[in-house]
Amino acid sequence: MAPIGETSPAFASREALQLAHERAALMPDCLVEARRVANSVISGWHGRRRRGMGENFWQFRPYAEGESFSRIDWRRSARDDHTYVRDREWEAAHTILLHADLSPSMRYRSRFAPVSKEARALVLMLALAETLARSGERLGVPGLLEPQANRQAAERIAVALAHAAQTPALPDPAAIRGSVDLILFGDFLDHPDRILTALKPLAHRGIRGHLVEIADPAEESFPYAGRTEFIDPETGRSLTAGRADSLAEDYRQAYLARRETLAAEMRRMGWNHVIHSTDRPASEPLAALHLMLSADGRP
Amino acid sequence: MSALGFATPAVLAALIALPAIWWLLRITPPRPEREVFPPFRILAALLKREETPAKSPWWLTLLRLLLAAAVIFAMAGPVLNPRQAALSAAGPLVLVIDNSWAAANDWDARLAAAEELIDEAESANRPVSFLLTVDDKPDATPLSAAEARTRLLAARPRPVSVNRDGLADRLAAGLSGTAPGTLAYVTDGVSLAEGDRSIEALTALKPGDFRLLAGDGKVAIAVTDVRNVNDGMQVTVSRLDARDAAEMPLTAYDRQGRAIASENLVFSTGATEAKTVLKAPLDIRNDFARLAVGTLSNAGSVHLLDEGSKRRRVAILGGETADAERPLLSPVYYIKRALAPFADISESRVSGLDAALKELLATRPSAIVMSDVGKVPAAAARALTDYIEAGGTLIRFAGPQLAAAGKDDPFATVPLREGERRFGGVLSWSEPQALAPFPETGPFAGLPPAEDVKVRRQVLAEPSPDLAARTLASLRDGTPLVTMRRLGRGSIVLFHVSAETSWSDLPLSGHFVDMLRQLVQMARAPVGKPDADGKTQPLPPYRLLAADGSLSAETGNARPLNPARDLAKAADLTHPPGLYGEEEGFLAHNLLPEGSRIRPLDPGQRAAPWVKRLPVTGPQPVNLTPWFLGGALLFLLIDGLVMLWLNGALALPRRRSAAAVLLALACLAGISLEPAPSRADDSRPGDEVLLKHLDTTHLAYVETGEKEVDEISRMGLYGLTQFLTFRTALEPGEPVAIHPEKDELSAFSLIYWPVSASAPMPTPEAIGRIGAYMRAGGTVLFDTRDQSEQSFGGSGQATPNGERLRAILADLDIPPLEPVPRGHVLTRSFYLMNQFPGRYADSPLWVEAGQGSDKSGARSSDVAPVSADGVTPIMITANDFAGAWAIDDMGNPQLPTVPPDENQREYAYRAGVNIMMYMLTGNYKGDQVHVPALLERLGN
Repeated sequence: MAPIGETSPAFASREALQLAHERAALMPDCLVEARRVANSVISGWHGRRRRGMGENFWQFRPYAEGESFSRIDWRRSARDDHTYVRDREWEAAHTILLHADLSPSMRYRSRFAPVSKEARALVLMLALAETLARSGERLGVPGLLEPQANRQAAERIAVALAHAAQTPALPDPAAIRGSVDLILFGDFLDHPDRILTALKPLAHRGIRGHLVEIADPAEESFPYAGRTEFIDPETGRSLTAGRADSLAEDYRQAYLARRETLAAEMRRMGWNHVIHSTDRPASEPLAALHLMLSADGRP
Repeated sequence: MSALGFATPAVLAALIALPAIWWLLRITPPRPEREVFPPFRILAALLKREETPAKSPWWLTLLRLLLAAAVIFAMAGPVLNPRQAALSAAGPLVLVIDNSWAAANDWDARLAAAEELIDEAESANRPVSFLLTVDDKPDATPLSAAEARTRLLAARPRPVSVNRDGLADRLAAGLSGTAPGTLAYVTDGVSLAEGDRSIEALTALKPGDFRLLAGDGKVAIAVTDVRNVNDGMQVTVSRLDARDAAEMPLTAYDRQGRAIASENLVFSTGATEAKTVLKAPLDIRNDFARLAVGTLSNAGSVHLLDEGSKRRRVAILGGETADAERPLLSPVYYIKRALAPFADISESRVSGLDAALKELLATRPSAIVMSDVGKVPAAAARALTDYIEAGGTLIRFAGPQLAAAGKDDPFATVPLREGERRFGGVLSWSEPQALAPFPETGPFAGLPPAEDVKVRRQVLAEPSPDLAARTLASLRDGTPLVTMRRLGRGSIVLFHVSAETSWSDLPLSGHFVDMLRQLVQMARAPVGKPDADGKTQPLPPYRLLAADGSLSAETGNARPLNPARDLAKAADLTHPPGLYGEEEGFLAHNLLPEGSRIRPLDPGQRAAPWVKRLPVTGPQPVNLTPWFLGGALLFLLIDGLVMLWLNGALALPRRRSAAAVLLALACLAGISLEPAPSRADDSRPGDEVLLKHLDTTHLAYVETGEKEVDEISRMGLYGLTQFLTFRTALEPGEPVAIHPEKDELSAFSLIYWPVSASAPMPTPEAIGRIGAYMRAGGTVLFDTRDQSEQSFGGSGQATPNGERLRAILADLDIPPLEPVPRGHVLTRSFYLMNQFPGRYADSPLWVEAGQGSDKSGARSSDVAPVSADGVTPIMITANDFAGAWAIDDMGNPQLPTVPPDENQREYAYRAGVNIMMYMLTGNYKGDQVHVPALLERLGN
């Protein structure tokens, strides 16, 4: 009898890129609402609807003493007796860090799902990167790729991932600097305490996070029966259940309890928590993420 | 007895491992389904309480333990009923085998048992002292095992009983002082003598181990006594194994080996003897040559019968008619009582001696007993003389009439003095005389002396030189009591006393019966020629009985049998049971003497503690390894099914049941695809031609080689075929041309042979085959086709075609011929005809003389019919049938008749039809002639 789930081989990021392009093409331009004003010198393409560094005209205002003469708009000033300064709209590109958990447990795919969790995570990640890059955001992968604003961000991320070794389940906090948006893709099956221990310092540093929990349907429904030996793909440890079907109810409760715990903590931290099952279309979480990133505030 | 043994018991030590296996099985669960499962930690938390692996259910463990045990047992080579223990420690193996008749039926098993012992001795490197209890030259000298095996395999059961006297001495002599190690006695278990102490004597050899291997004794059944009584053959059968009731057939066979009578013989429980009477009419009883009991035949269960056991028919002729008034005192009464147990008696109610004698002679008795007949009437004397000279026996008793008859009696044995002699009367001082012992020769040899018989009156013989030679029994004083004279092939016996009690006590004693019996036995087909001195010559062995109960002409080293001496003894190797004498007359010598019985061999009190009794044909060892392995496999299958069930697979999808159905279908297909039984191909070249000819009747003609003759033959037979098809129920196929030297002729009932002088002469081989065809029932119609030439000549000069016909027939076996007579079947087999015209009308049709006509009963007996069923094998005509019959495909006649008359052609066809019907129905029409006569007879 064939097992229900298997560990599929690592998903090639090029392939994921292809799929991600397709997904991203479906998405509207993603305007990332900057929640926080950072004194960033780096210009972006999005007007912030306020005065600041930028290329687009925002307003003329009377020249105030002490301002640099170079800022005086002489053409406007020549029309009357006042001197005016041309203000430009503040345009700032936001920095978004993307991270996908590509550990062996993510490579799991049950026969109820068309793809492995890893594949789905990569697709989501690259699709999001593509969408955001179109909007001129600075995209990076903690530990792999410094944030850059590049139209080819998705490709670069894919190449970086292709050459990278295994990525950890959670990003290295030291690699995350500044005020950024952190989007984590993973299954978050580790103990919630350990996840929170890793994420809470980030939240305290003011980083806004989005957790995309990708789950396989088999993990949710536990369709096992009979005597079954369960193997941990991460550690290789195994555990045998005499009658797996008798465990199903308990397991589902424990699984959902973990998810609840995580979701509650995320809410408390002000982070978003998106749950995605690999038997659902990938566009669903992408739309949700789009909404969260572009909305002014939390969902 | 059934026991379980192991070829390699050491393997059983592995059973110690079973508890370990138990423990292992208890803690090792069935192999689980392996599943990768990322939320492992959640599961791990849940499964904490189940961290020790699940234990198998106890019954599953038990099943596997059984499996393991079955495999261990199978490896240990389990054997049901293993061979028994080994030989004793030292000394040669002494192997004594009873190769008697009672061992014949299970001889192979006995051989196997003995061979096994020899094998054992060979592997232990012991000498073997091998002794057959029935052997011409018993020799118990120890031999090597290989030599002993050779002798063992050469040993055959012999058709005699075991004589165990001196067995111990023979063994001791062979062993010459060596103490035997194992003494194994493969015995038949039959003892003839009461209190056989031979086994006790064997223990005196002090064997280390004494085994008595005995069969179950079920086949030891012996016919001990056969008497030809009044209404049948009384058979007494003795058996060894008296434990159960038994019922077995008793069958009588005639000399050709056909079973002609049968009876059930019933042994009740505990009875060793059973008697039955095989009821059969006298004539059939006298055909009995062999009696066999039971289904297994051996020399004991077969009893041979000779002439002597046949029941005689004896005619009694009383002298005085006045006896009828006091029937219980008449001599005839005594004679009848004495003869009744072993002879059939015929008497005549006709008054008048010659008429009565003639009537009795017509019954062809074996012997005629005449009581006190003084003179045989001259009218009957001739017939009586003829009867005696042809081999009959006349037994006469003296009496007043005989004493008065005088000297010139042609049927006297010795010249008699007139009058009688009295002993012990009031006027005589001589005592009544007793009988002298019977002489050793003659019919009364072997009878015990008759001490108690006193003779008071007798007729005396005139002294003569040959008186002593003719005397069969005499009184103490030497005067003859019974005398005998040969006449031709028969003999006349005279008792010099009367057959009633006034002259002597003889009619009251048992000797009277015995003497009469001997005389009557002798009365037919005397066996062996007496020597000059009156002794019977020993009889050479003629057919001997083998141990398995079959008769064979092989006599081996059997010695001629002296009937007087050896018949009463049990058969031994010098005189094995069988038939002695020659084909014309023989004596049957049977295994056991009359009245003996067989008893189980009793080792005796003193020997009992020594002897280990073993069955010779115990239950055969059965190798149980396959059974144990099969059981293990079965357990494995069950285990597999249980595992599937435990893993929840059996409850699963429908696709699997579909697969199971497919599998079952495949199995069924496999079974049904069993190869068809192959048959030997016995077809031969030419079969299809033969089959074609057999499917439909074909007319056939011999190809002469001349084209026009053959063409006319073909067209003629074609015409006849058409005519037959239109007019009769016979629808023959196309005419067939045949070459007698190579074609198969037997498919044709009639072959038309146009004789042509200008055609090449048929080969001798062809003529020979035609002859064989005619002998086998076929018919050839020769047609010389030259009536026109003959009709002008008429001088008896043969025409060229006639010459050729004579040449052809010269080497054939031709019966006498005649023209078809009036009333012959040919004249009415379909049409009523007188003539058989062809193109010519005048030639007669010649057929075998005396055949087929309704006067065939009057046929002279010296004409032996060549063919069966009254169909002539040959017909000869000169009328050219084929010429008249010949038509072409359009139906136009080809040749004119002579004279040109279409009626004649019609008659020619009718002749052909009659001939064909005669061929196919034989003399059926001839029989019909008798129907009115038969009906008339039935009506009356």
